Amino acid sequence: MFWLEDSKQGFKDQWRQARVKIADICECRHIFLSIFRFKPEEAMKSFNINGTTLSIALYTDVTNSKELLESMQTGTLEPEVAFLNALLIPNIFPVLAAAHKTLVAKSRDSLTTRTPHSELVYNYSGSKHITESLKRCGISDSTTYILAARFDASPDEIQAVEKLINGKEIDLEELEGRANQSQIQKHYKISASELGVSSLADAIVCRIAARDAL
Amino acid sequence: METEVDSRDTSLILLKQGAEARVFESSFVGRKSVVKERFSKKYRHPALDSKLTLKRLNAEARCMTKARRLGVCTPVLYAVDHVLHTLTFEYVTGPSVKDVFLEIGSRGTDKEWLDNIASQIGEAIGKLHDGGLIHGDLTTSNMLLKSDTKQLVLIDFGLSFTSTLPEDKAVDLYVLERSLISMHSSCGNVMDQILAAYRKSSKQWSSTLNKLAQVRQRGRKRTMVG
Repeated sequence: MFWLEDSKQGFKDQWRQARVKIADICECRHIFLSIFRFKPEEAMKSFNINGTTLSIALYTDVTNSKELLESMQTGTLEPEVAFLNALLIPNIFPVLAAAHKTLVAKSRDSLTTRTPHSELVYNYSGSKHITESLKRCGISDSTTYILAARFDASPDEIQAVEKLINGKEIDLEELEGRANQSQIQKHYKISASELGVSSLADAIVCRIAARDAL
Repeated sequence: METEVDSRDTSLILLKQGAEARVFESSFVGRKSVVKERFSKKYRHPALDSKLTLKRLNAEARCMTKARRLGVCTPVLYAVDHVLHTLTFEYVTGPSVKDVFLEIGSRGTDKEWLDNIASQIGEAIGKLHDGGLIHGDLTTSNMLLKSDTKQLVLIDFGLSFTSTLPEDKAVDLYVLERSLISMHSSCGNVMDQILAAYRKSSKQWSSTLNKLAQVRQRGRKRTMVG
């Protein structure tokens, strides 16, 4: 019976080797796929805020802000996007802070405005006056410099957003150079003494955070 | 283009625990942050407890941002959560003035460095007081020095309030004086340097310092006789 035991053992070994090979092939296939995976050119930048993504893109020389505003006001904007007046944005961090605040309110069903996207604009303003906030921090008929943001956007939606806006997309790094400092200081009531110890962006973040405490 | 901003707000590392609040290290949309949580006191009536906690939470957020408006460096406020009773603010990297003073005291050198810190303290308090803001808990452990810029940062506005009375300002300074005497007598007379800087920075220094002399006589608490 000795040979039988032996062949059993041999068969087991062979089987084990075969399994390793199968695993190897799977592994290779995986690596191969990840290298040559088709990745669509996403132009919007995505930020992860506690598990929710916020996709952001910056546009200059926008020509159809009037149509965008109208479709937004009638609620027919598809997909829904938040449009911010980018002149008031010195860098992306205050937008993320406002988005964080929006997501916390949304998770508790305590949004002040109708949708998370309008809430983002309202929160960014740092004021309690909703109409005024949407007017100043949102877009108007004549706005040409716009920051578009959408929560949990799918790749299809990102492409749809890009089709929506007739303008030139530029890098988010350009925010700082293009921001209107005097307009920001006026809107957020930032004094010169505060700027002595704080950057413009940090001053805005403080106002966004402290609004409900005032 | 995908930028992954790591923001695990759930990962909290306890830094300090006090009588009123716990302080954690965390991150806020990609930046290192500090979370201060005011916990409820079980010995208080629930209705009173939630009211007090919320009131103090709001007061602290207000005073911190007011101090910044007055040109005094405090951590950037990132978020206020009224449900969890938390404040999230910037993580300031640097030692506390207490640690710096203790080190200077033990080595007995760095006279210039000491002068610089003292004048920064006096100037900051002068700005606060002229703006009608009382810190309420001025101790050297509530002052930090930013590692990179050596800028003084005031923290813990949990006992802050607004007042323009010389009495309140004098008591604010008196609390600092007592804490300096008890902790840092080896540093020499830092308080005099602080007061000199305070005189330069505050326009209403005279009434405050007169009051301080009275407060020194009687202590922090006013006698309510008669």
